[in-house]
Amino acid sequence: MPRPEIETINFTVDGREVEAPAGTLLADAAKLADVDIPVFCYEPKLGAPVGACRMCLVEVEGIPKLQTACSTPVRDGMVVNTETPRVKAAQESVVEFLLLNHPLDCPVCDKGGECPLQDISFGWGRGASRFAEPKRHFQKPVELSPLIAIDRERCILCYRCVRFSQEVSEDYQLVLHDRGADTFVGTFDGHPYVAPFSGNIMELCPVGALTSQAYRFRARPWDVEQSGSVCTLCPGQCNVSYTVRDDRVVRVLSRENQDVDDGWLCDRGRFAYQSTYADERLRTPLVRQDGELVPVSYDAALRRASEILVNAEQRVGALVGGSTSNEEGWLLRRLMTEAIGSRDFDSRPAGAVSAGLQAALDAPEAQATVEDLEWAHAVLVLDTEPVDDMPVLDLRLRKGIRRHGVRLAVATSRPSALDPNAEISVRFAPGAGEAFVCALDAAIGGVGDVGGLSRAAGADPQAVEALGRMLREAGEDVVVLWGERLTHAADPARSANAARALLKASGRLGLLDGRKGSGLLQVPTVSNARGLRELGVLPNVGPGYSEPAAVGRSSREIAAAAAAGEIAALHLLHVDPVASFDDRALWSRALGRASGVIAHAAFLTEGVREHADVIFPAEASAEKEGTVTHPDGRLQRLRPAVGKPAGALPGWQVLAQLFTALGGRSTALTAMMVTTELAEAVPFYAGITHDEIGGLGVRWQDRDAAAAFPAGDSGPFSLEAPAEAVSPNGALRLGSFRSVWASPEVAHAPALKFLAPKQRAELNPEDAAERGIRHGQRVRVSVSGAAATPSTVEATAHLRSTSPRGSVFLETGLGAQSATALTPDETTVPAMVTVESA
Amino acid sequence: MSNHLLFENIDEPGLNTLDVYRARGGYAMAEQALAMARDSIITALKDSGLRGRGGAGFPTGLKASFIPQGKMDKYLVCNADESEPGTFKDRELIQKNPHSLIEGMIIAAYAVGANKSFIFIRGEYQQQAEILEAAIAEAKEAGLLGPNVLGRGVELDMWVHRGAGAYICGEETGLLDALEGRRGNPRLKPPFPANQGLYQGPTLLNNVETLTAITYILKVGAEAYSAMGVEKSSGTKLISVSGNVKRPGNYEIELGMTGRDIIYGLAGGIEDDREVLLWFPGGSSSPVLTKDDLDTPYDYDSLAGAGTMLGSGAIIVADDRNSVVDIAVKTASFYKHESCGKCTPCREGTSWTTKLLKRIQSGEATPMDLDVIDSVCDQIQGNCLCVLGDAMAMPVSSMVRKFRPQFEAHIESARIANEQRLLAELDEQEPVLQGIGAL
Repeated sequence: MPRPEIETINFTVDGREVEAPAGTLLADAAKLADVDIPVFCYEPKLGAPVGACRMCLVEVEGIPKLQTACSTPVRDGMVVNTETPRVKAAQESVVEFLLLNHPLDCPVCDKGGECPLQDISFGWGRGASRFAEPKRHFQKPVELSPLIAIDRERCILCYRCVRFSQEVSEDYQLVLHDRGADTFVGTFDGHPYVAPFSGNIMELCPVGALTSQAYRFRARPWDVEQSGSVCTLCPGQCNVSYTVRDDRVVRVLSRENQDVDDGWLCDRGRFAYQSTYADERLRTPLVRQDGELVPVSYDAALRRASEILVNAEQRVGALVGGSTSNEEGWLLRRLMTEAIGSRDFDSRPAGAVSAGLQAALDAPEAQATVEDLEWAHAVLVLDTEPVDDMPVLDLRLRKGIRRHGVRLAVATSRPSALDPNAEISVRFAPGAGEAFVCALDAAIGGVGDVGGLSRAAGADPQAVEALGRMLREAGEDVVVLWGERLTHAADPARSANAARALLKASGRLGLLDGRKGSGLLQVPTVSNARGLRELGVLPNVGPGYSEPAAVGRSSREIAAAAAAGEIAALHLLHVDPVASFDDRALWSRALGRASGVIAHAAFLTEGVREHADVIFPAEASAEKEGTVTHPDGRLQRLRPAVGKPAGALPGWQVLAQLFTALGGRSTALTAMMVTTELAEAVPFYAGITHDEIGGLGVRWQDRDAAAAFPAGDSGPFSLEAPAEAVSPNGALRLGSFRSVWASPEVAHAPALKFLAPKQRAELNPEDAAERGIRHGQRVRVSVSGAAATPSTVEATAHLRSTSPRGSVFLETGLGAQSATALTPDETTVPAMVTVESA
Repeated sequence: MSNHLLFENIDEPGLNTLDVYRARGGYAMAEQALAMARDSIITALKDSGLRGRGGAGFPTGLKASFIPQGKMDKYLVCNADESEPGTFKDRELIQKNPHSLIEGMIIAAYAVGANKSFIFIRGEYQQQAEILEAAIAEAKEAGLLGPNVLGRGVELDMWVHRGAGAYICGEETGLLDALEGRRGNPRLKPPFPANQGLYQGPTLLNNVETLTAITYILKVGAEAYSAMGVEKSSGTKLISVSGNVKRPGNYEIELGMTGRDIIYGLAGGIEDDREVLLWFPGGSSSPVLTKDDLDTPYDYDSLAGAGTMLGSGAIIVADDRNSVVDIAVKTASFYKHESCGKCTPCREGTSWTTKLLKRIQSGEATPMDLDVIDSVCDQIQGNCLCVLGDAMAMPVSSMVRKFRPQFEAHIESARIANEQRLLAELDEQEPVLQGIGAL
């Protein structure tokens, strides 16, 4: 549904005539006249108002009863009074009622000082109570979850948390028990409220009823400062505000940005700050001496690192991880191309797409924004699980469906959390994304062999046809939210074919025409993938999607080359390929064979611990300065909220010094100077500064410089026959997914530790029954066939009736027990495994 | 003309079966209505002057005319969640004459173009729900409900939904939430159910008696119906008389009869010929009247003029053996128990008032607490999401205002009684060892 046009009307509040957009609710519109109407239950982010707390009663001329400002839309000529004796009396009454059962324990309450109930009681209350009866009592505080404490005596039953659970995150866990004055908030069955977005209810709570277990009693509002930045744990890049006490982050709050996060945070983003202060975090450079990693000075570490790079004589490969800022990526690129003279660097974990195709996919005309997801006629979620890959989008999609009637289609291998909201859900074989997109293209165009291609993808041809029809007929505004893994096939030809098929299908739907409100939106595998791509931190793409002079090796090729001894040194910038890339065994061999490995890391993950010769400590999110680019092209600014550990250097500076040590000419003295440098190199970033990016970021597509975007591959695209998903034939197809909780930050944050995933094998109950496997039982998953080095992963069987037959899904990011540990001998799509009771 | 319409053949054995109902001319009106233009039925309802019999007294024809025209999913919902203390008229109607309700619903559904209808019946009405379900099954069997009602190409399906025991589900939007399978909490209005009701569709919601009356309005004609009763309160009304009267029960009266005629005439006067202390004219949520108000005509406007309301038509009479304090405590406790807790003034106000009244009852209060009650009730009224808060505040504040001397006398006597009891208890205790003399 396209965004509605809104006209402006005039209305009067407390004698002031103001203009307001028609239909704005009075509680918001009054602010335009600097009139503050107190509210508790009203929160626009939660959707339609409920009018429960009755705090916002105002007098509207012509209506006999007092009206709730939160639910009354302004109309032209409306006259509103918020200060008459009648309104005053009603406001005082509501405050008095709310405080009847409230314990008034502000001096020991975490919310004290930043509490709407306090503020409104001061501003609109009578200042005295006539209540002489005993108050309502509950056991308190109790654990609502390991993350959240609930104090039911402080609760004023505004319904916000319950509405969040029911209508925003739709986890349906929180309910109100009992009724009347005995009402209390809890989960239906008394289980802990554990959900990916549960922490948001603490920010919504207008009193001290829901408090953070991690922040409880750590600080008072007058001890702390707020410092805005951006979370770099996932591509969502939600805007956050760090609460800092004594140069230490003690809490993370959302910093609402309509265009990015809508004011929500996932629990990982909210609590991972704790890992900054974990003992395991690296604080000084380490160098391997006689097999042991020992702390050394930066000078010593830099000396050793340059020796490694010099000795390798251009045979250096570099990998760049997701939390890398644009500045670090840019300096690494300069280091590699100018000082070392190697083009073997990649920021993609797998796959390769040519500069032309990449430019076509990222063209401003084809770009959908995050907000488009909520106003489109239809959205297709393609080969990605938003709640794991870019959590905050999950909430945005739900919002669009619930409030604006967006029609959702989901096409994935693994059952999606969005399936219940989708009009159509199509499953295809794990890894058969390429074939699926080819089939979808045929279905949308009504040409080609939909049936054959669908079968090649392991998908139901009728469902693909129905999906094609739905997208074709839904309306003009269609957004395809696609997972980057679609182009991560081991064979680059397959990746390119998938990209072409995606472009072709999108072209058929008119998504590449530059129409506002429709287009493609990528869910990248790593958080700053877009920024690194645009800077040319790819082997086959130059800055600004230019064609590079020479093409280097991609990630996978670097692995093979290093394992074969062709690459001598590896430079790992915020990435551990053993822990997070496919084909663990190959990467282990590659790192083992390399004569020198330089790593920038915050934690000693397995590959770094075993193989790195020099380690530079990475900055924590809250310490970092620089810029990142959101998947929809929004440049956002990272601002340091706290100082670094004593003596630590910022990542960009380490790279700049290394560059200088190797004879390069780095003139950057500040992070901002690097930003200026990269803005000069990328034509469509031209002139961008930290000031312009500001607090909410700026999309480069909205700037004049966007005209400098190069023409990408414009087609017509002819598709090759896609790789066919082999039939399970007694074995099972192996699919993998990365849980939102699989990251070192979760493992090292005390509050989140309990969420760190353990390997589980998701199976269809019938497949399980055939193998005599019960839910919850330990199983062994092994690669089919006679493997030279048999690889096996142990897991807990998790039977899901929605899981497609013939497939098994394992998590990645779990060390030796990851799905990536299963290395097939022959490359089939997908890999085949057997599952048996352990 | 006899003034009995709804109760015309009410005590005829087997009237709840289709055969007997048909023998009495049943479903002739439905047949007639389905041959009429939809507008003309609504016009007839407007002309009849019928006002909603559930409690609010909103003109039925006007309400039906709010339902948008055109083809869309529209719903008819019958509110049979008869939970107002003292009200039991719908119970008798459903139990003895279910087909007249079904017939009324067919006519109403046809008039507004609804093709799905629900009867939300309170969970305690088990026997009545079973009778209703049997009657609906009979009607379906006979082609009176279903895809082709009476062979006229009109579709109407009907379900009975049993409530789970909450007074608030008698509030129309709370009822809709409960019917949709959610917690029965009232919704914010607007939007009104006529525009966005059940499953967001236009919904006509009426009480059992209102829908049943529709059949009889068509039978006698709108003009004849409006000639009954008094101006602006036309027709007949079922009233449930209970309390200290000699002949409690349901009666059908023409509106405009005086309270005295009802209590002393129909209900046979007060037990043991005592005096009336107070009476609720329209269920426990109506402000109380005293014996001085007995000559007030029993119709919507006269009762409103007397500062109370006709409500559901349930007259509860308390004689002078009762203590007004006890009645106030009982009334307030009921609403405190039934408040859904969604909006602040009702949730906190009903609980506070109950606590205050209980303290008064036990003799631990001062007359100043009466002022607090009065003020709390004042703070509730008009500030709530639905009318449940008002439903407590109105009767309680009317009792406190009209019977202030009795309240004050109770406070004083209970205080003295407490004091004496305490002294007596002290006297009864064994002498406590005190000082050196006891050694």
